[in-house]
Amino acid sequence: MKKAPILKGYTLFYLLFLYGPILLLPIFAFNDSKVVAFPLKGLTLNWFAEMAADQNLRTAAKNSLIIAFSVSSISTILGIFAARASVRYNFPGKAPIMGMIMLPLVLPEMIVAMALLVVLLSLGIQLSLFTVIVGQVLICTPFAVAILTSAFQSLDRSLEEASLDLGETAVSTFRLIVLPLVMPGIMASFLICFTISFDEFIIANFLGSGKPILSVYIFGQFRFPAKVPSMLALGTVLVLFSIILLGFAEYMRRRGIAKAGGKDSGGLL
Amino acid sequence: MTTTDDRPTMIEFKDVHKYYGDYHALRGINGTIKAGEFFSLLGPSGCGKTTLLRTIAGFEDISSGVIMIDGKDMASVAANTRPTNMVFQSYAIFPHMSVEENVGFGLRKDPRSKDEKAAAVAEALGMVGLKGFGKRAAHALSGGQRQRVALARALILKPKVLLLDEPLSALDKKMREHMQVELIKLQRQVGITFILVTHDQEEALVMSDRIAVMFDGEIAQLADPETLYRRPATKKVADFIGTMNFIPATILSEAGDKVEIEAKGLGRVALDIAQAPTPAGEDPVVGLRPETLTLLYDDQKAPERETEGVIDEVIYFGDMTYYDVYLGGTDVEVRLSMRNVPGRPVLDVGTKVRVAWSPSALVLFR
Ligand SMILES: Nc1ncnc2c1ncn2[C@@H]1O[C@H](COP(=O)(O)OP(=O)(O)O)[C@@H](O)[C@H]1O
Ligand SMILES: [Mg+2]
Repeated sequence: MKKAPILKGYTLFYLLFLYGPILLLPIFAFNDSKVVAFPLKGLTLNWFAEMAADQNLRTAAKNSLIIAFSVSSISTILGIFAARASVRYNFPGKAPIMGMIMLPLVLPEMIVAMALLVVLLSLGIQLSLFTVIVGQVLICTPFAVAILTSAFQSLDRSLEEASLDLGETAVSTFRLIVLPLVMPGIMASFLICFTISFDEFIIANFLGSGKPILSVYIFGQFRFPAKVPSMLALGTVLVLFSIILLGFAEYMRRRGIAKAGGKDSGGLL
Repeated sequence: MTTTDDRPTMIEFKDVHKYYGDYHALRGINGTIKAGEFFSLLGPSGCGKTTLLRTIAGFEDISSGVIMIDGKDMASVAANTRPTNMVFQSYAIFPHMSVEENVGFGLRKDPRSKDEKAAAVAEALGMVGLKGFGKRAAHALSGGQRQRVALARALILKPKVLLLDEPLSALDKKMREHMQVELIKLQRQVGITFILVTHDQEEALVMSDRIAVMFDGEIAQLADPETLYRRPATKKVADFIGTMNFIPATILSEAGDKVEIEAKGLGRVALDIAQAPTPAGEDPVVGLRPETLTLLYDDQKAPERETEGVIDEVIYFGDMTYYDVYLGGTDVEVRLSMRNVPGRPVLDVGTKVRVAWSPSALVLFR
């Protein structure tokens, strides 16, 4: 692979394009200047202090966490049912039903958001965090189903039969055998749905009716140049948060594989 | 070979049918399995052995018919309450549990104390030769060890019937032969009815008290190993079990308990009716096992009949030599086996030979 300077250059450029902007976040978050530009002025923690003091931001973050936690829990639970049904059972209309569950994956989110808005308004339902959760569950469930289907598929059916054979009921078999063995998949589904929900903008904006939600709030704050540095500080925190979350997910996944004695075949990290 | 006829019946099949959609997987299974018997289901891949085993375990519902276990109709008895336990083909060891958690899994609802259960687990592990392996992680075991864990896990519940689905097929040859002997010993020790599924006829012959040979969802013959080998009921069974030479024949007469035939290369032979199983409406052929044919050296005399021949092929096996021989100037070729004892030279291709045989070793398929 010596004769590929172009490929090498391309790869470098690609990585720079991908991570350069993210690397600028912490740099300017610690820069002692209201203007986001080089040359750097000096080190400061002011922007973090300003961020922490922003009452609206705290509310938005709390709302976002509530939404993300609810959405990832509900989507993952729904995903468990759907994935289990699609892997283990045959029923009439299975293919179209599964297709329809997965459809929001490719449907423009804009359309989903508009359609939901129209329906909710015509039903006279007040827009709230709850309506955002409902909308995002629709978007996240296909991801949960996709991840969990592969988890359930890799589960040897004779393990369940062995448990039945040894006197357990279907319910206790699910608890003792199935659940522990698909737990890495459940964790993965939960974390992916959490991240998708956390930075989701369209539905949060359409169905949130101006309630402070982090993604919408950040977008709004960017209109005020003075607010930008503290938003960069927030971004830095979020990047750190993502790295910790991802590291935790990967740790859980590897531990799950080691426990099950399987071979590591890729993963997030 | 133990006689099993006086033992009580453990399992009875009455006209059992099983459909997968349109596919007729079991086509009228009848028969009984005795208590304490080592019973094998033998047949080529896809003939329905696993399906039949799974209907006994309760993992598959039957489409019609009756399965009785220990005198009880199993129609409304779920898998988790049947008096059977299974050793799965994949062993199905729970990967997230230790060896002792696996073995003790079936005791979860047992009212005994913790210590008593631990003792039962240790005893079961000892029985399969895994003493001291209890704390190991299940995934750190070799194939043979996994199989022993699966056995211990099933036997700890003292089932009336132990079901084994090709338990040895994943092991290498040495290990397999070793485990065959171990399984036989284990079965004698615990006295539980064993039902073994296998596609390996040698394995079935070595291990079983009785064998059901299956083809296409039907039992072609149910008999003890010796009967299966010496008196196969159909040509297909004869072909599946061991090596069998088939020689075209014509039936000359049939009277009383005698059948007289003319077999190509062998000449006229009178057979007992016991050597001619139920007619299947095929062209008549006689079957002869290779070891029932003997080459005559020098001026040896045949105890019964002899036929001339020419050696066409010599296959040397060390302890044995197989010869393919054209019989009496015909195009009928038979394979025969000779033990390589001292003073008995291996003959060359093209040698003219005399072949000794016995009419009582013939089986007529028609
Ligand atoms: N769940 C199933 N659905 C449809 N066909 C099946 C199913 N299980 C087995 N079969 C079919 O039934 C036949 C017998 O299978 P099986 O009992 O597994 O054979 P064996 O164990 O003798 O190799 C095969 O042709 C197989 O394809
Ligand atoms: Mg099978």
